[in-house]
Order: sequence, then structure tokens, then C-alpha cells
Amino acid sequence: MVESKSISKTGTPPTLRLGFLVFVVLAVLTAVEFAFALYFNIWFLLALMAILKGGLVMYYYMHIYKLFEAEKDENRESFAYKLATNRLGLWFFMLSDGFIFGGLFISRFNLLGLTRPDVNQLLGVTVTSVLLVSSFFANRAEVSMEHGNRNQAIASLVVTITLGVLFLVGVLGVEWRIAPFGPGDGVQGAIFYSMTGFHAFHVLTGVIFLSIVIRNLVRGRYSAEKHWGVEAAVVYWHFIDFVWIFFYPALYLIGTLPH
Amino acid sequence: MRKFFSLGLVRGLIWQVIGTAFGIGLVTGVRALMRLPAWKAEPAVVVGALFGALFFLYGVGVLDDWLKWANGEETSDEEVDETGLGRRRYFGASQDHKVIGIQYLTLALILFTVGGTFALIFRTELVKPGMQFLTPLEYNTLMSLHGIVMIVGILIGISAFMNYTVPLLIGARDMAFPRLNAFSFWIAVPAGIILLSSLFLGGFDTGWTGYPPLSVRAPLGMQMFFLGVSLSSFSSILSALNILATVIRLRAKGMTPFRLPIFVWAAIATSIISLTATQLIGLAFQMVMLERLLGMGFFDPVKGGNPVLFEHLFWFYSHPAVYVFVLPGLGVISELLPVFVRKPLYGYKWVAMSSLGIALTGFLVWGHHMFASGMAEYLREPFMYSTLLVAVPTGVKFFSWVATIWKGKISFPTPMLFVLGGIVVFLLGGLSGPPNATVSTDLLLNNTYYIVGHFHDTLFGGYVFPFFASIYYWWPKMTGKRLNEKLGKLHFWLMGPGMLILTLAMMRVGLLGMRRRVADYDPALGFQSYHIAMTLSGYLVALSILIFFINVFLTMKRGEVALGNVWGSRSPEWQVASPMPVHNYDKPVVVVGEPYDYGLPGSRYVKFEGED
Repeated sequence: MVESKSISKTGTPPTLRLGFLVFVVLAVLTAVEFAFALYFNIWFLLALMAILKGGLVMYYYMHIYKLFEAEKDENRESFAYKLATNRLGLWFFMLSDGFIFGGLFISRFNLLGLTRPDVNQLLGVTVTSVLLVSSFFANRAEVSMEHGNRNQAIASLVVTITLGVLFLVGVLGVEWRIAPFGPGDGVQGAIFYSMTGFHAFHVLTGVIFLSIVIRNLVRGRYSAEKHWGVEAAVVYWHFIDFVWIFFYPALYLIGTLPH
Repeated sequence: MRKFFSLGLVRGLIWQVIGTAFGIGLVTGVRALMRLPAWKAEPAVVVGALFGALFFLYGVGVLDDWLKWANGEETSDEEVDETGLGRRRYFGASQDHKVIGIQYLTLALILFTVGGTFALIFRTELVKPGMQFLTPLEYNTLMSLHGIVMIVGILIGISAFMNYTVPLLIGARDMAFPRLNAFSFWIAVPAGIILLSSLFLGGFDTGWTGYPPLSVRAPLGMQMFFLGVSLSSFSSILSALNILATVIRLRAKGMTPFRLPIFVWAAIATSIISLTATQLIGLAFQMVMLERLLGMGFFDPVKGGNPVLFEHLFWFYSHPAVYVFVLPGLGVISELLPVFVRKPLYGYKWVAMSSLGIALTGFLVWGHHMFASGMAEYLREPFMYSTLLVAVPTGVKFFSWVATIWKGKISFPTPMLFVLGGIVVFLLGGLSGPPNATVSTDLLLNNTYYIVGHFHDTLFGGYVFPFFASIYYWWPKMTGKRLNEKLGKLHFWLMGPGMLILTLAMMRVGLLGMRRRVADYDPALGFQSYHIAMTLSGYLVALSILIFFINVFLTMKRGEVALGNVWGSRSPEWQVASPMPVHNYDKPVVVVGEPYDYGLPGSRYVKFEGED
């Protein structure tokens, strides 16, 4: 922490570069995953890739390690102490929410086994990339805020939200229209629409959350030291991306088309 | 009049009506725009109820501060002193954990009364074979609602326990997230209303489990059941989140993990289950709701769905849920026993770990509800063994209780009676369990009244008795008055034998072949006399609860004032005067000794900063 505070405002702060590096690795992994799915389609390789990607997002973007460096400061009323408590609360919330997605994920394999819904591959990889890029910009916003660069944070969040809306358009507006089945058509329809629907609902809440944060950023509510709102919204956004890292292979890549 | 309309509850209810109308109008309008037949009851009512609940939360005022934050306004973190409001603060969105605890308690008691009344009605119907005054659908609706209303009531009662006591026991000023705490209480109110509205929307006939495919075909009331439970699950999840964060972050100085009051360990174990597994009952119910609304074939074999999947998702929560019900109760038993036998709690660390052990093993046992469901046969044995494993940590608790009582200076005030009653009844519930966990016997006992008897013993022993023990125990702390001992003892001596006869007779008729959830039985089976006994003892239990309410009423009117450490307890909340001041402790609590060293001269558990 002391190190990052002493960094001059000019030039690229190392944490921004780290975020970019993580993004590059995630992008490469996604490409490899897609290629794997096309040529090998061995489910556990795809699962391994997803776990790897999820781990990277959880560590570098959602900075789970901050949970364990909780403030030892004895003053309960201090901002730092409350911040650590808030972080814990957010993580408990995401853990709990994760069980809904876990339940859907298990239902998918229970009902469809190693077949997958007949959906548009190109669109799938596109929306996944869109969400991945949005996660990069969300991270950029948080890091910028930590360095006190408010304008860069606002700009990054605007990009994040735009990409989030694009994702929603891609899934709800295009995929739901062109899919060869409706929600009532067989179990693949049920699974596909419920998984994308629950996820899209979270994306929508994320977009609303980020919009509120932008509005408050513009009004100057956050500072380099105190920006829990930004951090919470961004971590929640990464959580949505984290879920999609598992949903994408489950819906698009793993298994074969039903005959 | 204006005063009346300024109550949060009243405003919330008005907004709920507006929200329901808005939701119904919205669906009807959208359908009209899509050129479908405008009126379709099911989606309109479901969306209406959902909007009703959201509007209720707005009306009652729990969203105010969050809306202000969204608007970029600052809110004060200082607790507002509401003592000037008097009783009115119990009807609005207070952020004080003690007020919220009492609100939860009141709601739980209301739900228990409603659910108990349902039981009395259909119990009366069962006195004679054949149908007397209920139709089969009415019987099924009452039976199902009895189950789920009691379960929601129990969950709310647990939040009452934990909300009121945990911050006091760990020496905190309040919960970690007071606003979220208010939210988790108030969402349970519209959820309860929606749940009970199923009675007027055609009822439902599936039992509280709501298994498809039956629940896909049940009347509209089914949707209200699903929606009500889904909404109330948020109450339980968010309350658990709050408890965990509070215990981790806001413990008093010196309160290391193994110096926590033992009830707090139970609260942690409970909250771990509530926080995570509860989502899956919500998900399972929402999937059936979607199947009904949009024809999504999750559980419809014609569409390739799998009804057994529902049972897996449902029981993944609903079995651990039983541990959610009983763990706090067992925690209360361990917490109160040392106070009344004036001896240290035997094997503190083992008891603490056994709570966690029960909670974690609880995640691995759900399949024992499905031995007869057509689930893959090779899954039966692992689930059988994991279930029997639960007996180990539970046995640790029993051993600790017996060893604690051993050679103690025992006194028998009302809370102690309920504690001992709880131990005895829970032992019966526990011993009647292994036959259900063992595959070979369960296939015979499955779906009989034996299960009903076992279940009621477990919940009475693990929940109801400790629940009343803690009410009698902490009542002076809540109100500054002590509940009448004579009436309290009468309450116990009516309820104890009443429910023992009730559950033992249930097990007996179950072994004789009485199926559960059935409105009628064959007189030739020869167990009508047992049914009469069950109904009479059911009324006995109801009478004892009535006496409890009379006791509460009389105590509030002119009860014995009790401001000091009534029970001679060592825990921090009894070291200050009752009722508890608004900010709990004026000076921070410091832990200086072991929590349960009763009888050790000169030892102390806590002191206040600045004292010596």
C-alpha cells in the first residue's frame, strides 16, 4: 500500500499494467479454450481452463487476498475497519449468490449431460469477449481510483457499462431471438434460458450499480482513500464475469449437439 | 390518525396494495400490447405479489438510506436514539438489533399461532375416519400450510434468537450491517402475507415439499407458496450474512474463538448453512414457478426433464435446514445449563466443534430423504452412512450436557425446566432417527406417521423447548420484568406431556400403517383411539401456549420488576441493568476469563474497560 501511494501520477502505475497483463492472459486462455472446444472437446480440459481463468479473476481482479489482510486497527469506528467489514459482507453475499449459479450449473449437467444446446458459436465467443474486456476496464477504473485519477476512472466505467449493455443486447436481444428453440421447447430451452436469464439479471443489476457509482463519481463523492462504492461495484462486476467464465463453456463448448 | 399512518408497517402495507395492483396492471397491459388475451390470472398475480413485496419494502422505509446513497447523499452512521418513540418504534424500520430481535420474535409467535391453528383444524378432522367438515383440498392446503408456516416461523424465530443475543453476547454495539438487518426483517413480513394469501387463491395440495409434477398442476395458491418461501429465504440468508460478519469483526477485546459464549458457536454453524444452502430451495422453487409460467420443462419428463433433480436441489437445503432449526436450540441448551447447575460447561471445545461438525456433515446427507424416490441405487449407502455419522457430534453434545449436570447444584426455574425438557424430547427425536436413516427400515417407514412423529420430536426438543427457555431466560433483559414462574411452570407441564403423547402416538400409528399427508384412514386399521389421543394432546399443547400468552399479557400489565442479574449469569449482557440501554454497553467489554467457570471463586468472564 505504501508503495502504491508514493507512485507519481504520471506514467503507467504498475498495478494498471498488472491488470492489463492479467487481461492478456485471460484473453489467450479464452482463445485456447475455444480452440480446444473446436478440436478436442474433452470436458475436463475445458473445466480446467475455466477454473484457471476463474482463479485469475478472483485473485487479481476481485483481489480476494484483501480479505485476509483485514485491518488490525483497534478503532472500530475508523474507515479502514469498516471497509474491511464491508469487504467481508460483499464476499459473503457473492458466496451465497454463487450457490444459485452453482445450482443452475449442476442442473445443466444433470439434465443435458454431455450434450449442449444448439446455439450460435460466433455470438457466444463474441459476448464472452465483450464481458472480458468490460472486466478489464472495470479493473482499470478501480486502480485509477486508487491512484486518485478520477477522470480515468469515470472514462473506464463508461466503457465498462457500454460493454455490459452490449453483452445484454447480444444475449437477450440477439441470442434469445435467433435460438432455434423457445424457453418451453424441451429441456435444453429451459436450461439455456434460465442460465442466461439469471446471469443477465445480474448483469443488469451490475449496470445499474455502476451507473449509480459513475453519477456519484462525477459529483466527487469518492477519493483515492475512500471509494468503497467504486470497489464494491467493480468487484461485483468481476463476480458476474467470474460466473460467465463457467457458464460459457457449460452452455456453448462442453459436449456435443443433441441428435 | 396521522400518527397511525406514520407507522412504517401501515405505510408498508398500503404500498404493498399499490404495488400488487401495479404489477397486475403491468402484466395485463403488456399482454394487451402483445395482442394476447389480456387477462391471465397466474402471471398477473405472481408479478403483482412480487411488486407488492418490493413496494412494501419501500413503504416501510428500509430502502431510504440506500436510495439516499444512490442519490449521492450522506447518511449518518450514528444510531438514532428512538427511546422517545416508545412502543411505536417496534412498528417501523428501526436499525437497533434489539428492536429488530423483538420484531422477529413477535412475527415468529404470530406465525406459530397461525400455523398451530391450522394443525388444530385438521387434527380435529382426523378424530373420525371419513371426511367431517373439510374437503380433501382444504385438508391438504391446511396440512401444507401448517408445515411451511411453522418452518418460516422457526426460521424467523431463529433470527430473533440470534439478532437479540449475539451482539450482546460478544459485547458489540450492534450488528455489522444494521440497515441490512432491518431489511432482512421487513422482507419477511410481505413474504408471510404472500405465503398466507395462498389460502385464498385456491390453496395447494403438495405438502410443504412442493414436489413436481404435482406442484406443476396444483392451483394458483402453489405460486404464492413458492414466491412467499423464496422471498422469506432472503430474510434468512441476509440475516446469516450479518451474523457471520458481526461475529468475525465485532467481538469484544480478548474474546478469542474459544472464549466465545457457546451459543455464538451454534449461531456461526447455523449461519454457514443458511448463508449458502438456502439459495438452492429458492432456486428449486423458482424453477417450478418458471415451469408453470413459461412452460420450461426442468422437471417435466415429457420434455426431457427430471423430477428427481427437484428433490436433490430441494433437500440440499431442506435437510441442512433441520440443523438450522435445531443448532441454535442446542446452543441455548449448552448456554443455559451451566447457569442453572452452577458448574462449567463440560468439554467446551468439543461442544463448539460439534456444532460445526453437525453443520458441515449436514451438507452431505440430503439423499436420505430420497431412498424411495428412484434416485440411483448406489447413492443409498453413502447417504446412509453420512447420515448415521451425524449422531457422533450430536452424541458429543448429549455427553457434555449429562456431564455438566452431573453433581451440579441444580435449581429448577422455568427456563431450566424447558432446557431439561428439550434434552429429553430431543433424545427421543434423535433415537427415533437412525431407523429412518437406515435404508432397509426406511423403505418401510417412508411416508408414514412414524416420520411425522420423529420430526416433531426433533423440532420440539431441538427448537420449541429451547425457544421458550430462551424467552423465559432473556425476557427480563428485554423488558425489565420477569415472566410469572407459576404460569411458566404450568406452561411447561402442559406442553411437555402433551407433546410427548402426541409424538409417541404419531410413531405408533405410523408403525400400524397410517400414511402421512392423507386426510382419511380406514377404521378397520384400528387406530382411531390413537387419533383421538393425538387430537386431545394437540389441544393440550395449544392450551399451554395460550397460558404463555396470558403470562406475557399479565407480566406486561403488572409483572415482577427484575432489573439485575436474575439468574446469576456470567455473560456480559447480565452485568448491566435491564432492560438493555440503547447502545448496549456504555464502556467496551473486555474478556478476562473463561466463559463458564461457574463455581470457581474469584473468577470473572468479563469486565468493563476502566474497571479493575
